[in-house]
This record gives sequence, C-alpha cells and structure tokens, in this order.
Amino acid sequence: MIDWAWIGDHLGAIGGRLLQHIELAAIALAVGFAISFGLAIYSVRVRRAYPIVTGIAGVLFTIPSLALFSALVPVTGINTLTVEIPLVLYTLVIYVRNIVSGIDSVPAEVVEAADGMGYTQWDRLRRVELPLAVPLMIAGLRLASVSTIGLVTISGVLGQAFGGLGFFIFERPTFATEILVGAVGSITLALTADLGFAALQRRLTPWNRREVGDEIATSGRSAAPGLTGM
Amino acid sequence: MSTAERVVFEHVTKRYPGTSAGNAGAVEDLSLEIPAGKVCVLVGPSGCGKTTSLKMVNRLIEPTSGRILVGDQDVARRDVIELRRSIGYVIQQVGLFPHQTVAENVATVPRLLGWVETRRRARADELLGLVGLDPGRYAGRYPSALSGGERQRVGVARALAADPPVLLMDEPFGAVDPIVRERLQNELLRLQEQIAKTIIFVTHDIDEAIKMGDLVAVMQLGGHLAQFGPPADVLANPASDFVARFVGADRGLKRLALIRVAELELRAPLTARAGDDAAAARARAAADPFPYLLLVDDRGRPLGWLDDRRIPATGSIGADNVEPASPLLDRHTTLKDALSMLLEAGVQAGIVVDADGAATGIVTVEMIIERVRPA
Repeated sequence: MIDWAWIGDHLGAIGGRLLQHIELAAIALAVGFAISFGLAIYSVRVRRAYPIVTGIAGVLFTIPSLALFSALVPVTGINTLTVEIPLVLYTLVIYVRNIVSGIDSVPAEVVEAADGMGYTQWDRLRRVELPLAVPLMIAGLRLASVSTIGLVTISGVLGQAFGGLGFFIFERPTFATEILVGAVGSITLALTADLGFAALQRRLTPWNRREVGDEIATSGRSAAPGLTGM
Repeated sequence: MSTAERVVFEHVTKRYPGTSAGNAGAVEDLSLEIPAGKVCVLVGPSGCGKTTSLKMVNRLIEPTSGRILVGDQDVARRDVIELRRSIGYVIQQVGLFPHQTVAENVATVPRLLGWVETRRRARADELLGLVGLDPGRYAGRYPSALSGGERQRVGVARALAADPPVLLMDEPFGAVDPIVRERLQNELLRLQEQIAKTIIFVTHDIDEAIKMGDLVAVMQLGGHLAQFGPPADVLANPASDFVARFVGADRGLKRLALIRVAELELRAPLTARAGDDAAAARARAAADPFPYLLLVDDRGRPLGWLDDRRIPATGSIGADNVEPASPLLDRHTTLKDALSMLLEAGVQAGIVVDADGAATGIVTVEMIIERVRPA
C-alpha cells in the first residue's frame, strides 16, 4: 500500500518541505508571540481591554483557515505574507489568554511583597510576574505550535510554493503514499515541537522541582536552634 | 545594625469612598508616637483598621487626611519607591519569590538598591545566620523546599536586608502552628535585642500583643484607638469596657506573665544550718510572721523547710525530717509561672535561688497577689 520506492526517490524533496514547514511555522509563532505579548501586557494594565482583545482574537480564530488563505489573495497576492497573516492571527487568542493567565497566576502575597519592598511596576513585571508566568506562557507556546504546524499544511492550497509538508497532501489527492508522508510528517513535527517546549519549560523553571525528601529533614533539624532559645 | 527611627501618626484618617464611618478597614483620627527602637503592637478585632494603619506607613495605602512621620520626615513627601526600600515589610503569607533562591530573596532590596553581587551575597549570608538558618544549607534552596517556619524566617531576613530603621510586620506569625509561632516570637524578641529596630507589629491576638509589645495600641471597629500604652498599663487599667473585654477576664493572670520575680521585694528567708541550736532556732521562727526555717547547706543551698513541729525542743537541728524545698524559682521566672508552681506544689512560699543554687529570698502567694492588686 505504501510506495516505499517513491519515498526513497523523494527524500531530498521531503527534507526541503520539512524545512519549509518549520520555517513557516516558526515565523508565525515568533511574530504571533511578539504581538500577543504586547496585547497581553496592555490587557493586564488596562483590564477593560482584555475582553475586547480576547473577543476579537477569538472571532478571528473561528474563521476557517482555507477560507482565510483564499480571501487574502486579492489583497496581498500570493506570497509568504499571505501564508503568515492567517497563521499569526490564529495564534493570538492562544497566546494572549496564556500570558495574561500566567501573570494572573502570580500569588497576591508575592505581588504585595514586591510592592512593599519598593519594586517599580516595570521591575515587578520583569523580575517577578513574567518569570513566574513562564510555565503558562510555555503552555501557550505548546498549544500554538501544535495548532500552527497543522495549519501550515493547509497553506498548500495557495499553490506549490507553499504548504510545507502539506504540499504532498495537495499534490496528488489520489496517491496514498504522498498523503501519508504529508500527514505523518506534520503530526510528527507537531509532537516533536510539543515535547521540545515541555523540556524547555523544565529548564527555565528549576524552582518548580520540589525537593520533597529534603524538606522533611530540614524542618526537623532546624527545630533545634530555636528550641534552645526558649 | 543600629539605626532606628521613631514613627509618628498625626491625626491619621482613612475613609473608603461610598462607605460610612465605622466600616471595615477604616481608620479614624489616629495619633500615636512610637519611639525609635521600640516594638509597638497594633491589636484589635478584624476590621478595626490595624492593617490599614500599618500599610499607610509604607504608603501601600494613602491616608485620607493626617500625616505620618518616619524620623522627622512626612512619608507623603518622600518618593514612594525610595520610602518602601527603606522600610522592612513582613506579611503573614511571607510572599517569598518562588523563582528565586533563599539568598536571592533575602538580597531583594539590596539588588534594587544596586549593591554589587559579592556584597549582596555576603549580606544574605549574614542575615540568614542572624535568623538562625545556616547559609551553607539554605542559601541555594528555593522557597518550595522550606517549612512554614523557615519561610517566615527568610521573610524576616529579607525585610532586614538593607538595614531599615523601621520594620512593619503584618500578622507575621499568623499562618504557622502554635509551637512554631511561640518559637518565632521568642527568636524575634531575641533578635530585637540585637538590632533594636522600630517595629510596628499587627496582630489580632492579645496574648501575642502583650508578649511582643513595648507598647500596645488597642484598636476597635471604626478605626478608633481605644488605648495606647505599655502592656502592663493596658492590663492594669483598661481605658474602657471594650478594652477590658478585649484583653479578657483573665487580664490579672496576663499581668502576672509580664512581671518577673526580680521585680518583687523578696523577703529574706530565716535560714538555719544543721547543727544549729534548736531552742534558739525555734525562738527565731516563732517571732516571724512566716514561721518556717529554711535549712541550707554550707554554701547556702536550700535543703528543706522546718516548721516548729520538725524542730526539736532541745539539742541541735538535724538534716533529716525536713519538708522538701520546692518549688525553686529564679529571678527571671514570671509571676504567672511562680504562682502556678506554688499552686502545683500546694505550698505558700517558693525559694528564689541564684545561679549557684544558693537561696536569696522567698516569694509567697501573698506577695504575688499584693504586686498586682489594683492601686
């Protein structure tokens, strides 16, 4: 059923499409994050903006991707921008919600302590709230990367210059091997990105690893100096 | 570690918009002067405005009217960020930064003030030692690896990092269990003997207030100051029914906990040694309103009591047949503990001994009651 010979003959093309897939997704993920970060910080400062921002981003997210790619053609022509605009727009709702939730997840007493010790608002954001928002921000990055990698395949509708691994899905809809290469490749890429970002989060948040066994020993021993003072 | 500054509240009022006077958290015309280096405890039921009062000092809350001085400076005229960096702040939930190590947490304000890394690190180690945490073991840990009591100690170290003249503590020991709380209270009192900061301490627990405060400000709902003074005065002479009820029906016992044996005029015991003439000793005991002889050894250490039934009519006193000499008290025993020990032993008098164990005086139930009798 699978034409292994075809795969063997086209390894170069598959590799090229894989790189294109990664490139298209990475640009969207990076640009989308930059825009969302600005929108999220603004939403945290100006709270009434938050439902408006997420409302608009949510509506954008509901537009079928196939339709959006095609709808942009009369405006932008057929080029990388036509691919990236929808991809970026679809990341917004995921990113903004996760960044804002991340900042909101910082415990109130931590914020109060920071204020009481004389952090400026900017220092507090940079040194306290954003570092503590990292786990939820990366959760957003994981979701957005899976979603974006899937959507890149659909950009194949714009022609042979685009689509990443999706190119193989669109090229010959009757040839099972090619469709499988496109689909399985895209899925594998999405899973790899997800696992990669999960590993990144563990690296960036060493404080989340609790030293449980140590805590018991610590509280027991530290009792001694205190008791002698009573 | 020697700076401290007075804190003065001058007619400070805080009203919240849309609420009438008397609502939770409001403060009404509060005037207080806390001398430099003293611990002032703001105590009262919840909603009495004690935390609001505290937070107006570092301007986490701005007063509606009135002013607060730290040293001679009106806090409203100071840059709010610079003001907060110069005042230590400890809260009940501690609020350690979970993503920073213990040492980084302690060095928070020094970092904000731009100290170099080596100086921050040295300061963090010094402070961890001061609050009883070995820097070698604790400096590199994250807060999630600490017990509640350890977190609270790190919180205190963090508040002291830049050597602030004033320390604000908002129910600092409210979230730990009673045993740890008592230990932390004792540690803070001992620490305060070294650092002598001006401390404003908020609690709803009158016992904690009496224990920790050089001065106690009792506040009541509506943010009114009900009474301000040393804890002994508040207990001895409550200014109102509210204060009397708030300090509790056992305020007489609470006062006993504030007075130590050393503050009494001790009565010298009638002492005798083995081999003394019995008849002469009998005569001495009979002439005293407290007709007991204390048998002591050759270094003055008590061996036991002799009443007239145990003193032979003639001959000399022997070392046997004595009533055990308990309880033994020392100068630092509180009158509350002394009374409890006397009741426990079922006796009229306890013996005060010095560091060598020699009897220096006696304390009777009567003397204790006399000491706290209303004037």
